[in-house]
Amino acid sequence: MKMHARVNGSPFVAEVPATSSLLEVLRGAGLTGTKEGCRIGVCGVCTVLVDNRPVSSCLYLAGCADGADIWTVEGMAEHAPSVVDAFVECEGMQCGICTPGQIVAVASMGPDVRDERDVRHYLSGNLCRCTGYGTIVEAALDAQARRRDEVAPA
Amino acid sequence: MTLAWPRVAGPRVDARDKATGATRYSADVEPEGALHAAVVRSTVPHAEVLAVDASAALAIRGVTAVVTAQDLERRFGDELCGRRVRDMPLLARDKVRFSGEGIAVVLATTRQVAEDAAALVVVEYRELTPVLDALAALGPGSPRVHEAPWRYDGAVVDQSHPPNLQSELVEGDPVAVDEVLGRAAHVVTRTYRTPSGHQGYLEPQCWTASPRPGGRVALLGTVKAPYRLREQTAKTLGLALEAVEIDPVPLGGDFGGKGGVVDPTLCAALALWANRPVRLALRAGEDMSATDARHPSVVEVSVGCDADGALLALRVDAVFDGGAYAAVKPIPSANLHGMAECALGYRLEAFSVRSAIAYTTTLPKGHMRAPGAPQAAFAIESALDELASAAGVSPVELRRRSVLSGGDRDAYGHVWDEARGAETLDAALEAADAAPRPEDRERPGRRRPVPSGWRRGRGVALYARPTAPPATTSLRLAPGDDGRLVVELPFPETGTGSHSVVRDELAAALGVDPENVEVRQVSTGLLPYDPGVGASRVTVGLTAAVHQLASRWWESGGTEAVTVETGSGTDRPALSYCAQVADVAVDPETGQVLVSSVVTAADVASVLRPRSHRMQIDGGTVMGYGFACLEDLLERDGQVWAPNLAELRLPTAADVPSLRTVLVEGGRGVGPANVKAVGELTNVPTAAAIANAVAEATGRRVRQLPLTAERVFWALHGETGGETGDEARDEARGEARNVARGVARGEEGPA
Repeated sequence: MKMHARVNGSPFVAEVPATSSLLEVLRGAGLTGTKEGCRIGVCGVCTVLVDNRPVSSCLYLAGCADGADIWTVEGMAEHAPSVVDAFVECEGMQCGICTPGQIVAVASMGPDVRDERDVRHYLSGNLCRCTGYGTIVEAALDAQARRRDEVAPA
Repeated sequence: MTLAWPRVAGPRVDARDKATGATRYSADVEPEGALHAAVVRSTVPHAEVLAVDASAALAIRGVTAVVTAQDLERRFGDELCGRRVRDMPLLARDKVRFSGEGIAVVLATTRQVAEDAAALVVVEYRELTPVLDALAALGPGSPRVHEAPWRYDGAVVDQSHPPNLQSELVEGDPVAVDEVLGRAAHVVTRTYRTPSGHQGYLEPQCWTASPRPGGRVALLGTVKAPYRLREQTAKTLGLALEAVEIDPVPLGGDFGGKGGVVDPTLCAALALWANRPVRLALRAGEDMSATDARHPSVVEVSVGCDADGALLALRVDAVFDGGAYAAVKPIPSANLHGMAECALGYRLEAFSVRSAIAYTTTLPKGHMRAPGAPQAAFAIESALDELASAAGVSPVELRRRSVLSGGDRDAYGHVWDEARGAETLDAALEAADAAPRPEDRERPGRRRPVPSGWRRGRGVALYARPTAPPATTSLRLAPGDDGRLVVELPFPETGTGSHSVVRDELAAALGVDPENVEVRQVSTGLLPYDPGVGASRVTVGLTAAVHQLASRWWESGGTEAVTVETGSGTDRPALSYCAQVADVAVDPETGQVLVSSVVTAADVASVLRPRSHRMQIDGGTVMGYGFACLEDLLERDGQVWAPNLAELRLPTAADVPSLRTVLVEGGRGVGPANVKAVGELTNVPTAAAIANAVAEATGRRVRQLPLTAERVFWALHGETGGETGDEARDEARGEARNVARGVARGEEGPA
């Protein structure tokens, strides 16, 4: 089937088999920043935004994203620059394999995600084996604070 | 001492690329025209392979070949593969020894076709009796896993050993231990068990090999020790060392698992055989059930103290399940160095350690973060609490009386100028009592308060680890095209921040802006030997090499490229203690364990990148928490029952306890940067600290990991008084079955 969508702000057209996952289609189109992890929707390393909702692209059929507005980690410097900056400055990463998914997940957080407890629950679908999560949680809180400041400058 | 973590000035060298998806990992590399390999793996633990029928697979469009062991033997001869002990074939020859072992490989034009076709290859087996229990494997009458393991190249056993022995390590003096324990006021002897586990990296293993002119081959993939893989591959395939090149690529996590499996060598063989680039990528589930896992253990500890609670002697007798092959273990003994050093932390009149690793027909076992040490520490540090209870002293007091101080001789005879056992223990306890805010004592992702009926407990555990002198490595510094300096190094960034340490240290040594230093991993052909990432040697070795590199650069005028190749250093080793205090709450009705907080005191020297250092501490503690409470590959009946990340249960951000760390600063480190190793420190004592806390909370001792609700429930409610959770459960279930049978026969149930 034909998939028409927007990916990272640009038109995206691809011929996709009905069984293809969004992950396969994105990676096949050269967007390899989104990683394959568990392939069963529990690790979160393949998280992308579909109409501003974080989804596990390994389980999301590409055909279902027809017409959607899709953002991947490659678009985050444009879509959510404060999140990227927060992860870089807080050193919210080690090996980096979960980082694309963490950043995309944080970029989808609403203003209701405020404190550490909220962040830890919001990110509980994004595993990290390296950091112990402390610096990731700090990066997420930092990103949320930056975004609050952007919305309502002092 | 400090509780604060300053922000580092310069971001990691790899931060921006990792945060924007630009970093290319193994799975992101796909050469033009590459064939995709999918491995047909054994579905049974032990069998003769009678026939392989690939006709259905070969009929699929896009399949170019189905390769068997015979095909590879005709091309490369019959050398077996391995890092020290070469006992593993690239593909099974006539016999499979674990479920998951490769039998054939489908090569196809796409990955999907290769995987689909691999499922159509029919293997005919004649099943043999599996060997599933390490203790039974070493006893008389067990079927043999290998006919004559002492004949393998690099074997560390001989014909006098039990035929299923992979490796045995013996330290200390068992006769002296008997004598000293004979006059001890209190002695306990207990047995502890730990399961097999996966390292838990989130990047499945993946390799790409490309043939090069002149029969050479280039290999790129999830490889933490490129020079060792080069050696393994050249030896197995009958090639000159220079004919194999390992190309650079960062790793998506390692934790010991990406050092030594045979699959990359298989990938190189396939590329040479097909004369085309070949990509072999594992799915996560395949990685978890067919690469290398942590050794399950059964560890018996006998420990005694005098009437005042001073330790006298320690005996540790461990049997590990090594799985079907020793091939993946890299150290000369093919054993686990965490066992060799397990009596290090205390003053003892006598000690003995025996670590026997058995061949079984299960997944081959390899290294995972401080190999052998978490298993040993769980056993020893649990037994110390049991001894304290027998002696009527507090667990803290028992440890404080026997930890090493500066000038003390350890059980192995080494005198340490500096040893800060008591300081480290006290720092952890002080911090545990002085949480900055009450909520810092509770799990930060917790939503509801802990119910009032839950029982609270606190446990303590210690671990001591030496930092060895700098190991061999190499570095090259050259002027770049754009006026920057380019430093080339021989191993990948696994995530620890090692490449950033090189940049920072070199910039400091040369007095230049770190922004002007570029760090690059290069192919094995371009730099002298390096043993790879592991054994917590990276920062110590690299910083020593950086300092040499900087001096050479100035000596040579600072304009021409210079290379340094460092030998093993002769510096005195340093000792680090790590003390952890765990606070738990246990639901007496269900056995559920909630770990509220883990306080870590780490004995450190200079800290180069504080946030990277902290992530080694936090990440290690969380891994220790997973080992204690959650993770089990569930190897049963020769199969991995939890071959996916849903069932392996790695800790999430919401699961983890409150983590607080105290750095016991001012220590004497090793090498010019004055550092102590930290990567394999904090994951070691966590399980014992938590088990000790659960024992304090419940009055029952669970001697088997993980501390699942079921095990704790049966320890609380079973008849055996919690000898181990599983024994109590089995006993209770057996009673239930007997009652059910009685009822079925028309007998009365118990009143």
